[in-house]
Amino acid sequence: MSLIQNFDLYAPKLVDRKEYLCSGHRACQGCGEVLGVRLVCKGLGDDVVIANATGCMEIVSSMYPFTAWEVPWIHVAFENAAAVASGVEAGLKALRRKGKIADRDVKVVGMAGDGGTMDIGLQALSGAMERGHDMMFVCFDNEAYMNTGIQRSSGTPMGASTTTSPAGKVSMGQKTWKKNVAEIMVAHNVPYVATVCPSYPLDLIRKVEKAKKVKGPSYIHCFTVCPTGWRSSSELTIALGRLAVETLIFPLYEVEDGKYRITVDVENPRPVEDYLKHQGRFRHLTPDQTKMIQERVYQEYNKLLDKVENLQAWSDLKYDLGMLD
Amino acid sequence: MNEKVLMRGSHVIAESAIRAGCRFYAGYPITPQNEFTEYMASAMAGLEDGTFIQAESEIAAINMVIGASMAGARAMTSSSSPGISLKQEGISFLAAQELPAVIVNTMRGGPGMGNIAPSQGDYFQATRGGGHGDYRTIVLAPGGGQELADLTGKAFDYADRYRTPVVILADGMMGQMMEPVVLHKAVDPAELPPKPWRLSGAAGRPSRYIRSLLLDIAQEEERNWKLARKYDNITREIPRAESYLTEDARLVVVACGTAARIAKGAIKRVREIGLKVGLFRPITLWPYPKRALCELSRSVREYLVFEMNTGQMVEDVKLSLEGRGNVHFYGRPGGSVATPDEIAKVVNSLYHRQRLEEES
Repeated sequence: MSLIQNFDLYAPKLVDRKEYLCSGHRACQGCGEVLGVRLVCKGLGDDVVIANATGCMEIVSSMYPFTAWEVPWIHVAFENAAAVASGVEAGLKALRRKGKIADRDVKVVGMAGDGGTMDIGLQALSGAMERGHDMMFVCFDNEAYMNTGIQRSSGTPMGASTTTSPAGKVSMGQKTWKKNVAEIMVAHNVPYVATVCPSYPLDLIRKVEKAKKVKGPSYIHCFTVCPTGWRSSSELTIALGRLAVETLIFPLYEVEDGKYRITVDVENPRPVEDYLKHQGRFRHLTPDQTKMIQERVYQEYNKLLDKVENLQAWSDLKYDLGMLD
Repeated sequence: MNEKVLMRGSHVIAESAIRAGCRFYAGYPITPQNEFTEYMASAMAGLEDGTFIQAESEIAAINMVIGASMAGARAMTSSSSPGISLKQEGISFLAAQELPAVIVNTMRGGPGMGNIAPSQGDYFQATRGGGHGDYRTIVLAPGGGQELADLTGKAFDYADRYRTPVVILADGMMGQMMEPVVLHKAVDPAELPPKPWRLSGAAGRPSRYIRSLLLDIAQEEERNWKLARKYDNITREIPRAESYLTEDARLVVVACGTAARIAKGAIKRVREIGLKVGLFRPITLWPYPKRALCELSRSVREYLVFEMNTGQMVEDVKLSLEGRGNVHFYGRPGGSVATPDEIAKVVNSLYHRQRLEEES
């Protein structure tokens, strides 16, 4: 039986068969990011408007006069995907209110890479989340500016060698720890925040569907493998995504109304070395440096577990107005 | 004498900046000038007193330059067209606060996102100030190769001498092309003239301040006049241009940067068939070398302005000539790069249309 027949047998209820980001785009072989976008789109369906920041996904999918997009899509500058998405959402709302367009919910989605989300786009993203637009924002995090040639971003992990944090005699590569934007979004008190990875497609699609149903802002952080920038084999893309989860480097969880839940349990975590050793960007790391990374990964995971165990949904919290009676 | 080396244009500017005593660089990724930022990342790491920062945005990078310049360092940032637009606020502040800095713009096709091919679409933005308020920046337009090294050093000297931001206008082609250059001798930053205005902590002396907010109208007017007087001095002192085969020319092509290089190739071709054509290449775009162009008008009547845009510098040519010549224009915008043959054809047809071959 061919793969596609298998799909009809097992997956039609799980995965939308329709493609919203069609083939023929110019992404590199083994690109994890374009797979992430494709799966996110399957979760979104076609009643959306996507505002896409500058980056790999914009370049590979929209080289004029072609487009890979089967849904309404606008490309904007580097820093403002969330601001443009805010404008689209507010514009649609105004037109609906005045009866100029059909009264139905069209989900507005902002998309950007790690640079467009965590560095130059953070201000616009924070503003959009704070104002409470009915929109979703997805960060496709491949841990550096890959479109311009592998420059470090604030999403680049400690020790990774990039062209602007080169490893060598005087430097171990990136010297700072990765910024945790999902946590920053949680601190904005948005109703839904989730981390996803295309190596876990059903988990990813389910979270996108959930975020789509949320009335108000939601944020999804998508961890995507970049063979070109990570100096890894293109056939390892799915495996590296799984390894990132299995080593606890990138735990998959969701935060619904303040309540944390880990969605992919890792019974026996693997050492970070299993993940690091397949990537050229970490090749120079010494055992001491690997140990330092391992320690930090445990520390971060412990912090997450603490939140999972101790934080409750907003509706279950201690103080409420009833106390005044 | 230093040795001749083969280097990429963007690396030449970066290395020349370090040799001119630049010890602070802040940048942000953008094509086609990433090689510049990458070179600075590794070169500054190798220097004991060098600082490289990859900022979180272009706006952050230019504001880091403001800070470093206030502290007294020779500071620099670089970007390409869309990124330079983001830096304009900072450049306006540099001008207002009279702080030296060097900004490299590796121009690409625009407007908006445009593309990543070489262009000269930012001429107006650079030469008219670019940001808000009544100010100018010195704008240098290297022709590529050796001049990238020469003008980078000059840029830092001008910036310090006049306490003003200096823009180097390059383009995607210049930044990528590898050419032989002789790099200048390295300057020891400690031996540069002291900056008595710099902010450095006020222990044991009265505190200084640098600001750009002057709510008092009279003070703000005086600051504007003070800047204007400085710009007058700059306009008198530093205009520079190259004239090529203009002695007997009946038609002069006016072009800068990469366009001038292409025009030179065209002129060589039409000279072979006996057309008397020369080239006028402004090296400082602001201040524009008006006087030198005016001098030419004693002997030349016809001018062809060739730009990689839809016509920007042509306005400065007309302003310089003030009617003392016929100004024609040929442009290739949006990242298109004309070939010398193409320009030769344009020159040839203009030459004959104006019946220049009949003049004695």
